[in-house]
Amino acid sequence: MKMLLSISWRNIWRRPSRSGVLIGAVIAGLWAGILVSSWTNGLINQRINRVIQEELTHLQIHHPEFLADREPQMTIEPTHEIFSFLNNDERIKSYAARTLADGMIQSPQTASGVQITGVMADLEPATTNFHENLIEGSYLTEQIVYPIIIGVKLAEKLNIGVGNRVVLSFQDLQNDIVYNAFNVAGIFRANLPAYDEARVIVRAEDLYGLMAGTPVFHEIAIMLYDIDESDQVAADINRQFDTIQAETWMELSPELRFMTGASEYYMFYIMVVIMLALAFGILNTMLMAIFERTRELGMLISIGMSRSRVFIMIILESVILTMTGGAAGILISILTVSYLGRNGLDLSSIGGDTMAEWGYDAFVYPFITTGEYISVAVLVMITAILAAIYPAIKALRLNPGDVIRE
Amino acid sequence: MAILQTKNLSKVYNPDTVPVHALRDVSITIDKGEFTSIVGPSGSGKTTLLNMLGGLDKPTSGSVWVNGEEITMMKESKLIDFRLHNIGFVFQHYNLIPVFTAHENVSFIMLLQNRSKKEINDRANKLLDEVGLGDRKDARPVQMSGGQQQRVAVARALASEPKFILADEPTANLDTTSAMNLLDIMYKMNQEQNVTFVFSTHDQRVIDRARRVITMVDGAIYKDEYRDVEEKAAS
Ligand SMILES: Nc1ncnc2c1ncn2[C@@H]1O[C@H](COP(=O)(O)OP(=O)(O)OP(=O)(O)O)[C@@H](O)[C@H]1O
Ligand SMILES: [Mg+2]
Repeated sequence: MKMLLSISWRNIWRRPSRSGVLIGAVIAGLWAGILVSSWTNGLINQRINRVIQEELTHLQIHHPEFLADREPQMTIEPTHEIFSFLNNDERIKSYAARTLADGMIQSPQTASGVQITGVMADLEPATTNFHENLIEGSYLTEQIVYPIIIGVKLAEKLNIGVGNRVVLSFQDLQNDIVYNAFNVAGIFRANLPAYDEARVIVRAEDLYGLMAGTPVFHEIAIMLYDIDESDQVAADINRQFDTIQAETWMELSPELRFMTGASEYYMFYIMVVIMLALAFGILNTMLMAIFERTRELGMLISIGMSRSRVFIMIILESVILTMTGGAAGILISILTVSYLGRNGLDLSSIGGDTMAEWGYDAFVYPFITTGEYISVAVLVMITAILAAIYPAIKALRLNPGDVIRE
Repeated sequence: MAILQTKNLSKVYNPDTVPVHALRDVSITIDKGEFTSIVGPSGSGKTTLLNMLGGLDKPTSGSVWVNGEEITMMKESKLIDFRLHNIGFVFQHYNLIPVFTAHENVSFIMLLQNRSKKEINDRANKLLDEVGLGDRKDARPVQMSGGQQQRVAVARALASEPKFILADEPTANLDTTSAMNLLDIMYKMNQEQNVTFVFSTHDQRVIDRARRVITMVDGAIYKDEYRDVEEKAAS
């Protein structure tokens, strides 16, 4: 085996320029592929984190049918026991209860359907960072009675601004319609464009006061210390209480579920395409190497080198050649990605603004996990083996008697 | 004792299109210690016969026996292994692995035989000394003359301790001095170590040294004569 390794290694350097071109191609291909993947990873990861931190959180608790039917009576019970359970779970960083209602918002000019979210003005900002989206006015301040904050698109549509008065109407727990005036305290621009038009935020006390007269909640949003514990914590809550249902961000958001899957496969697809291109390069290089060495291979078989050893020798040559490029390519990629991961990559000058409109960051911190680097290395190795099989089989078919003649 | 024997060996190339009768009913017996030269005009079937003797090609009919074993019946994989342990080869071209040094080329075949490291190293050194290349052990083929390369090939052929060595026109590409030098080495091995050699050649210098000369014409044996070589060499 050592002998085969040595012969393969030296054979590679018989044609330094040809091998060099292939090694260069492998390096360039891996570098480009890994860079694009790392950027996608960063982009998707930032997007997921942003959606989670802005409003979704790691898990949410609802009445089991609330998400489907959104009836005001589908409240979370027993609140007291649930809160104390959450307070005692050390995996939970913070949580915020919300009162929700579907209704209408009316300005002197026009009316629009909205989802009303009643939040605890003190707990919500400790759990989510939606309040950072405020671009005008202030967040549910005590100084204003019945404060409301609305999205920038909705403000335009209703033709109102901070300090104006609107009327919200929604159903109470008895299914009667409640009307109440609210004062616009602030205007936000969310990262999710749909929010700007269809969401309004009020204080939970105001909302449940009008709906029920006592505290009722429809949603508890929970942030954990470790996102990877989401499934476990949700399962624990569900085991403890059968009147409610806890669901993770993955279960709650089809968009994030899709993106998580995408980020896993995206890199794989990019790499497979690059490997396919490299495979042709390897195939070509190895075929040329075999063709040049037909007589030499015939001589080796003649003097007694078994065909399996010849086969291994050629596969080894391909693997060593490709992995030399692969190792260099991965090393350069690690250096590049870790540099970009520290300093970030700003694409706002080349179309990043468009992405920002869709809620994606133009400034991305690319990253690649160790597991992904290992997968790439394995993929390169498999490619090198597969691409060399045909040339190796060609070498096996050589008939020493024919080859050794001039 | 016959270590090499053919029985009614025939070879027809392209039997379906333009049949070429490269060998016709060749039956020969070669004993241990012989120094045999196969001669004949170009196209008379010398290379074809040597390929059959070395198991590099299959005959159309007839059989080849090495040391009492019929190699024409062997499976390809077994035959390769059989060659490794029983037959030494010296070719006209492409004898050596270009990326290996003389020492590595000689060691290579013993590595294929899975011998011990120390034995391989010692034996390669000894054989290279014997062929007069003690000082070129680390030279690669491109750094050596044609004659030196052929001497490495002889050392390699001997390294595996084969029953006999087949050499197809080993001196064809060499100048007279190198050719005589190579021949002297092989002759000495034959005399001192009783190594059996079978050559094919056009080269009168080689023919003059052969104790047995088999002449082929048109794929058949035309003449098979034993001679007293000492006399010839001396004259
Ligand atoms: N693969 C082949 N296909 C068809 N014909 C072949 C093949 N190999 C050899 N021959 C023919 O077989 C005959 C014998 O060839 P061979 O090479 O054995 O002759 P030779 O005595 O070695 O000649 P030379 O002295 O030129 O080397 C020739 O007519 C040759 O053309
Ligand atoms: Mg010939």
